[in-house]
Amino acid sequence: MADPLRRDVLMHRGIFVAVALFLIFLRLLPLGSEAGRLPGPDLLLCLILAWVQRRPDYMPALLIVAVVLTEDMLLLRPPGLWTALVLVGSEILRSRIALTRELSFATEWIFIGLLMFGMFLGYHLVFAVTLLPQAGFGYAMTQAVATVLAYPVVVWLSHVTLRVHKPGMGEVDSMGRRL
Amino acid sequence: MAKNRTNPEDFARPIRRILIGALVVLLLALFLLWRIDSPRVERFRTALVDRTVPSFDWVMLPVTKAVQMVQGFQSYTKLYEQNQELRQELKQMRGWKEAALRLEQQNAKLLDLNQVRLDPKLTHITGVVLADSGSPFRQSVLINVGERDGVRDGWAAMDGIGLVGRISGVGRRSARVILLTDSSSRIPVVVEPSGQKALLSGDNSSAPPLEFVEKADLVRPGDRVVTSGDGGVFPAGLLVGSVAQGPDRRLRALLAADYERLDFLRVLRSHDLEAITDPGGLVAEPVTPGEIGPPPPAEGEDSNG
Repeated sequence: MADPLRRDVLMHRGIFVAVALFLIFLRLLPLGSEAGRLPGPDLLLCLILAWVQRRPDYMPALLIVAVVLTEDMLLLRPPGLWTALVLVGSEILRSRIALTRELSFATEWIFIGLLMFGMFLGYHLVFAVTLLPQAGFGYAMTQAVATVLAYPVVVWLSHVTLRVHKPGMGEVDSMGRRL
Repeated sequence: MAKNRTNPEDFARPIRRILIGALVVLLLALFLLWRIDSPRVERFRTALVDRTVPSFDWVMLPVTKAVQMVQGFQSYTKLYEQNQELRQELKQMRGWKEAALRLEQQNAKLLDLNQVRLDPKLTHITGVVLADSGSPFRQSVLINVGERDGVRDGWAAMDGIGLVGRISGVGRRSARVILLTDSSSRIPVVVEPSGQKALLSGDNSSAPPLEFVEKADLVRPGDRVVTSGDGGVFPAGLLVGSVAQGPDRRLRALLAADYERLDFLRVLRSHDLEAITDPGGLVAEPVTPGEIGPPPPAEGEDSNG
């Protein structure tokens, strides 16, 4: 009884790492990176927030930190800053699971959208405070908008292909506690 | 919703909150460390990228090729128009070729007259582009030559035509090239016919602006931009691009290198210039540091005159 559930959690964590590596790998491909192109959505952020919102037990904080820090390192971003922001964002979400669990998807989307905008703004702001050279404000906001728009797609895809959904009333975890 | 107070989760929650806080502080400390002592963290990053990315090579190649094939199929539709355009261009080029040949002969004659010696040490290594940085805000590519091939920091990288960027970060098997369009790239350049010096500073757009032009009036759109060799960063005279004026009246450089197709990069092996330290006894007194302006007469006596 307890074993299959535990295995399910481990399997989903493995899938998350694989998908994250795949997304980083896509970014690394030497295709289409001319300067001045509009930035696409940050799909990894969508994935993390969507899964934390649905199944927080799939996404332990350390796993999130490890994956995003790897992304920071490989994509030549300042290491640690974006990771810290993602960690704080996911913890904000995690601590409000009990409140947001009953909400409709539209409300959840608005909430997550605000959270994402906050994270991108914070990132931009820290760059400004530490006098780092950075891209224009418009670009950062374009990326934020694209990410917010991509969120429902990621949610839908992970629901259809991996059955990541909000747990129903009767579901229990490996220790027999309610989810 | 009502939970039993003996649930172990209730005790674990505050501890967890403290641990998460510590983790955030740790990450921010890492960021600050990077901001303060960037070279050390960047060395670590270079080592990491050097270990991981080349081992992805076998997956990257087929995917890249497949996408390029799809793009190739898409371009078949435009092939006829392109063909016509190319024919016209070819006609114009024939004319230019004649002009170029004549100029080349003239140039050779003039060089001969002046007895100019071109630098024989200016040779190159060619590398294949492995990966680009990926994020839209960092413009850099990774090439497959590194320390093993003698590549050093600061060398210039070109494609067949123009300057592409500068080596910044060398691993054993790979090296990173910061492109001219990156927002941290600053290259001293000269605008050719007028000889105006300027700084080409990348800003993440495809045409980086020219800054600190001495007399902007003398610079016309269409002028050639080449590296100036100031500051010993680059060898002088590498083609960068041509001047253009944007709608915001700023002078920008249209880059000569084809940034959409960075496949092979040529890394110029530039050797350290010998610094000239001796001022030459006959020309002037040696300038001692800290002495600015005319020297006081009493102290000027004992140095050789």
